[in-house]
Amino acid sequence: MNTNDYLSDAQADLLARQVAAQLDQSLRDLPHDISERLRAARTRAVAARRQQVPVLATGLRLQKGTLVLEGGPDKMRFWGWMGSVIPLIALVLGLFVIHSLQNDWRADELASVDTALLTDELPPTAYTDPGFLRFIRAGSTEAAPTSATAD
Amino acid sequence: MASDSELTDFLKSVEKRAFKRSLYHVRDEDAALDIVQDSMMKLAEHYSDKPANELPMLFQRILSNTTLDWFRRQKTKNALFTNFSQFEADDSTEDFNLLDAHRISEGNEQVESAQRTVERHQSIQEIETEIQKLPARQREAFLLRYWEELDVAETAAVMGCSEGSVKTHCSRAVQALDKALKAKGLTS
Repeated sequence: MNTNDYLSDAQADLLARQVAAQLDQSLRDLPHDISERLRAARTRAVAARRQQVPVLATGLRLQKGTLVLEGGPDKMRFWGWMGSVIPLIALVLGLFVIHSLQNDWRADELASVDTALLTDELPPTAYTDPGFLRFIRAGSTEAAPTSATAD
Repeated sequence: MASDSELTDFLKSVEKRAFKRSLYHVRDEDAALDIVQDSMMKLAEHYSDKPANELPMLFQRILSNTTLDWFRRQKTKNALFTNFSQFEADDSTEDFNLLDAHRISEGNEQVESAQRTVERHQSIQEIETEIQKLPARQREAFLLRYWEELDVAETAAVMGCSEGSVKTHCSRAVQALDKALKAKGLTS
């Protein structure tokens, strides 16, 4: 290639701008159906955006004697996040409280059984003696007719 | 966050240029329209929370990526089927441009002479042809840098390459265009 054919930076920039200007001109000549299809595509895109980002008000404000809805997607995002996190925290706390209460009730129950056994005149080892168990059973069968005659 | 009207205005300002840019790459009007529509939908659906001043860069990037996706899909499709449709698309595009040139020239007769209109259309068409002949990366760099008027850093960000590569691509593209347009007598 001849070195004279090579454009300087300024010449290259000028040529590029001229070509870009010509391309801009070509935009004016776009056929009507293409312009219409582009317009339809644009409308569809903006409509899709509207469906995706519903503008919801989070509060009311008085402005020049008129009530104005305020707040929008940013606030909604925060409250939406809070709305999902708060019930979750409440659920975890509730489960924890139920668990600890059940532990307390179980401990109380065991303690009352232990207390009854230890404070009774009869020693707890007596319930492991087979002769004593037979005595209790015989006693309950004898006691039943007695109570019946008493009635 | 860009409002609906800001988004509409922005899309209105870029849609024709985006269509042409895609058309230079894919050389198929329907595909170019699909690419522009997909890009608009992606911008509206995924980046609607971005401020209005970020939309141009985002859109250019989305458009480039959507065009690349189209080429990837075409490559897969062509690997499976014969590429008759590709030839048909090329032919229809060229026919369409010629017909359009005639149709539009009729409407512009009052403004400029028929001969001048035809010359202008021919000149634009020659330039468009030469732009389509450029290698894809050179064409992309040239269009982003000079037509979309992005700076070197922005062009590099959209193309996902270094600033040095952008400068090289642009320089080669301009030199190639100069040579081709000189050969056709369009520049001195």
